[in-house]
Amino acid sequence: MSHPLDRPNVKRAWCPGCGNFGIIKLIEEVLTELKLDPKKIVIVSGIGQASKTPYYIDTHMFCGLHGRALPVATAIKVSNPALTVIAEGGDGDMYGEGGNHFMHTVRRNPDIVHIVHNNMVYGLTKGQASPTSQKGFETPVQVKGVGSEPFNPISVALALHAGFVGRVNIGNYEHAKMVLKEAFKHKGYALVDIFQPCVVFNKVNTYKWFKDNTYELDSSYKNNDLSSAMAKALEFEPIPIGVFYKVQKNTFESYQRGEDRSALVEGKHDLKKLQTLFTAY
Amino acid sequence: MKTFKLKDMNTIADPPIQEKRPKKESTPKGISTRKSISILIGGAAGTGIMTLENILTDAFKRSGYFVFSTKEYMSRVRGGSNTTLLIISNTPVNAPSWFVDLFIALDTEALGHVRERLRDDTLVMADESIKDEALNITAMPMLQSVKELGNVRYANAYVAGVLFGLFKLNKEMLTQSVKVLFEEHNFVENETAMQDGFYYAEELTSVNVPKLPSVSENTQEHMHLMSGSTAAGFGFLAGGCNMITSYPMSPSTGVLNFMASMSTEFDIVVEQSEDEIAALNMVLGGWYSGARAMTSTSGGGFALMTEAISLSGVSETPAVVYLAQRPGPATGLPTRTEQGDLNLAIHSGHGYFGRIVLAPGDLQECIDYGYLAFELADRYQMPVMYLSDQYLADSISMIETVDFSVYEQRRYIQTTEASYVRYAYNDKGISPRGVPGFGEGLIVSSSHEHDERGQSTESYQIREKMLQKRQEKVALTISEAFKPKVMGQGSIAIIGWGSTKGVIEEVLKELNDERLFQVHFSWVHPLNPEHLKVLKESKTNIIIENNISGQFADSLKGYGINSEHRILQANGFSFFTDQLKEKLIKMLKELK
Repeated sequence: MSHPLDRPNVKRAWCPGCGNFGIIKLIEEVLTELKLDPKKIVIVSGIGQASKTPYYIDTHMFCGLHGRALPVATAIKVSNPALTVIAEGGDGDMYGEGGNHFMHTVRRNPDIVHIVHNNMVYGLTKGQASPTSQKGFETPVQVKGVGSEPFNPISVALALHAGFVGRVNIGNYEHAKMVLKEAFKHKGYALVDIFQPCVVFNKVNTYKWFKDNTYELDSSYKNNDLSSAMAKALEFEPIPIGVFYKVQKNTFESYQRGEDRSALVEGKHDLKKLQTLFTAY
Repeated sequence: MKTFKLKDMNTIADPPIQEKRPKKESTPKGISTRKSISILIGGAAGTGIMTLENILTDAFKRSGYFVFSTKEYMSRVRGGSNTTLLIISNTPVNAPSWFVDLFIALDTEALGHVRERLRDDTLVMADESIKDEALNITAMPMLQSVKELGNVRYANAYVAGVLFGLFKLNKEMLTQSVKVLFEEHNFVENETAMQDGFYYAEELTSVNVPKLPSVSENTQEHMHLMSGSTAAGFGFLAGGCNMITSYPMSPSTGVLNFMASMSTEFDIVVEQSEDEIAALNMVLGGWYSGARAMTSTSGGGFALMTEAISLSGVSETPAVVYLAQRPGPATGLPTRTEQGDLNLAIHSGHGYFGRIVLAPGDLQECIDYGYLAFELADRYQMPVMYLSDQYLADSISMIETVDFSVYEQRRYIQTTEASYVRYAYNDKGISPRGVPGFGEGLIVSSSHEHDERGQSTESYQIREKMLQKRQEKVALTISEAFKPKVMGQGSIAIIGWGSTKGVIEEVLKELNDERLFQVHFSWVHPLNPEHLKVLKESKTNIIIENNISGQFADSLKGYGINSEHRILQANGFSFFTDQLKEKLIKMLKELK
C-alpha cells in the first residue's frame, strides 16, 4: 500500500511482517492528516532497523550515528524553530547507546517528537537483548536469560519531568494514531514509545503478547498529575498505553533564543558591532 | 507555506580564501634596542594572583610598555603553588623566559616552587614574616598593611604598588588600573594597599632593582591586551559562529566562556552538553540546518568526538572543533601545555575523508584562523580542527586594533530546486549544500555510504564514485592550503608549528646567526608539497615541537623532508626563550 509521502524508488529493507511497516504508515498518515509541509519536516535517526525509517519517508532527513539522533535533532530545531523535527530510532539506539542523550534531551525540552520503536530486542545485530528486554529473555548472548532490570523509558522520562510522555502499541493502530497526533501538537519534547513485535528475533513479545498485555488509559485518567503518571508507568502485565503525562513548559529554543526567532542561516554577525567590541577590549 | 530564499550565495568557483591582511612586520627589526625585564609572582590558587596579573598588565601598558604574561597552575581550585610571569619591554614580547629578574613570593610554598628559576642576581621579595625562609630575601611589610585594611586579598594591590615603587614609575597609571578593576569592590582599601606598597618600595635604597627601559606613557593605547582564548573567540565571531555546544574541559573553556559572554551581544546558541559526543553531534545538527556551529574541547574530550568527526566526513556536514591541547595520555597534566594532539587531529575518525587542521601561532593568527575555520568548513563541507594549547590559550599579550571589515562573511548555502540532490556529482567534488526549509528540494544527509540523493547504498560502483568525490575535495584543500611563513633566509631552517611561533622568532633574533631562518606552519594539514620546497633546498632542518616524538616532523618525513634533527620538550611547560636558545646552540654545535 503506497502513500503520497513514500520516498520514490526506494526498497524497504525490513523483514516481512515487521512492526516497522505499521509505524511508517502511522507516521505518514499523522503527518498528512496534520497537514504538515514535508519541506518543513526533518526526521533525524540513528542506526538500527528503526533508524532506516527516514530513508523511506519523503521529507528532509539526517541519518547519523547509533544513539546520537537526539543531540542532532535538538540543534536542528534551535537553529530553525520553524521546522517540525522528529528524532526516531529503536530501543537499543535511544535507551542503550543514546541513554545519556535521552535523559538530557528530556531536561532541555526542545520542541521535537521523539519516536522510539520498542520491540525489546536487537534486530540489526541479530537477536541480542535490548535495554527493554524482560528479565529471563534468552538470546545467543544472554544464554542464561537477561539478568538486568528492564529499562522503563516512561518512568525515567517522568522522573525528569518530561512535558509529554506517551506509549502506544502499533497493533492498536487507531489509538496509536490519536496519541502520536497529540504528541505533534504538543509544544515541547514529546516521547512516544511504540510497542512493536520483532517477528524474527523476539518470540515472546509478539503481536498477540502486546495485545493481551496492554490496556488503554481511558477518559477517567487525568494526565496532568505527575504522581499518578508515575504510578501508571510502573504497572506491568497489563501495561497501560496512552498519554501518561502532558504539561506545557518553556522550550529549549525559546530559552536559547527567545520566541519566534528566524533561522540562524538567515543571520550574519554585525561586523561593525564586533569591531566596536574588539576596540573596547 | 512561505519558502525562504537565501542571499549572498557563494560557490567553490569564487576566489580562494586568502589572507587579505596586508603583510607587515609587526615587530621592530633587530634585538639591539630590546630591553626587558621578567617578573615572576608565586602564590596559592584562590588568593587572587590572576587579579594581580590583570592589574599589572593593564598598568604597565598604560605606562607605555609592551607586556606579555603567562601562567602555570596546578589542577586545583584553592591552595597549591601557581605562578604568573610578566615580561615588560620596550618592544613586543611573544615568549616567556625560564630565569627571572624579579620574583615576588606571596607565601613560603612559592619560594620552593620556583627555586630553579632564580639566578644569583634575581631580586627576591617576600613578606617580612617569611624573610628567613631563604637567603637574600628583600622583605616587605605586606601582611601587616593588608591586615590593617581588613582583608588579605588587598595583597594584590599592595604587590602592584611595590613594583611601581621599585621601578619609580608614575603611580597615577597604576591607580587608574586599580580603579578600573575595583571600581565597585573596595576601591579605597585597594588604593590604600597599593600606596602602602608603593611608598615602602620607593624608599628601598639598598636593593639592586633591575632596570626598566624608559618609554613614554600612553603610547600603547592602540594596543589591546588579550589571551589566545579571547583572540580565538573574536576570530570565531568574525567567522560567523552562532552556535557553540561544549562540555567544559581545561584549557578550552576560555573560548566557551567568551562565546557565552558574547551571546548577550549576538544571536548565539550556547549549550553545555551532557558529554563531548553530544557536543559534536549538536554541531553537525546545527550546520545541517544552516547554523555556523563549533565545539571546544581538549584531547580527552576530542577522543570521544572522533566518531562524529567521521560522520562529518561521510555526510559532508561542516564542523569546527576548537581543540586546546594539554598533555595526555588520559587525564595527563590537566592544566599544563603540550602540542601532543596533532596526530590525533589528523588521524581521528574511522574511514577515509578529508579534514583541515589549523594551528595559529599568535594573537593575530588566532583571529584570522578562527575566521578561516568557519569559511573553510563551509566551503569544503568537512571538519576543520583548530589547534591551540594551554600556553597559547592562557598567555596574555598585545595586539594592534584589528580591522574586522577584512573578514568577508561568505555563505555557501544554496536555495534548492525541486530536483535538488544533496550529493550531486560534479567536477569539483563539492556538491551544492542546501538546508531544510529553504527551497523546494529535500536535504537527505546520511552516515551510510550513499548515492547522489543521499539514499544508503551497497553498490560498489557508487561507493567508488563517492570515494572519488570526497577525494577530489581533499585535492582542493591541498591547493587552498596556506604557505608556511618563511622569515629570513639562510642554510638552516628552524621549523615550528602553532604556538611555538613567538619563542622561535625571539630565539632567532637573539642568536642573530645568519645561517638560521624560521619556517612556521599555521596550516598544518593537509600540506601542499609545493610549499615544502624551501625545506628541501635548505642544508639542514631543525624541527622544534612541544611534544615527545616530533609529530609534525614525522608528518614532514612523509613528504620526503629531512627531519631527523628535532628539539622536543614534553614536560608540561611551553618552551622558554633562554632554555630554547641553549638547546639550539647545543644542537648547532653537534651538527658541525
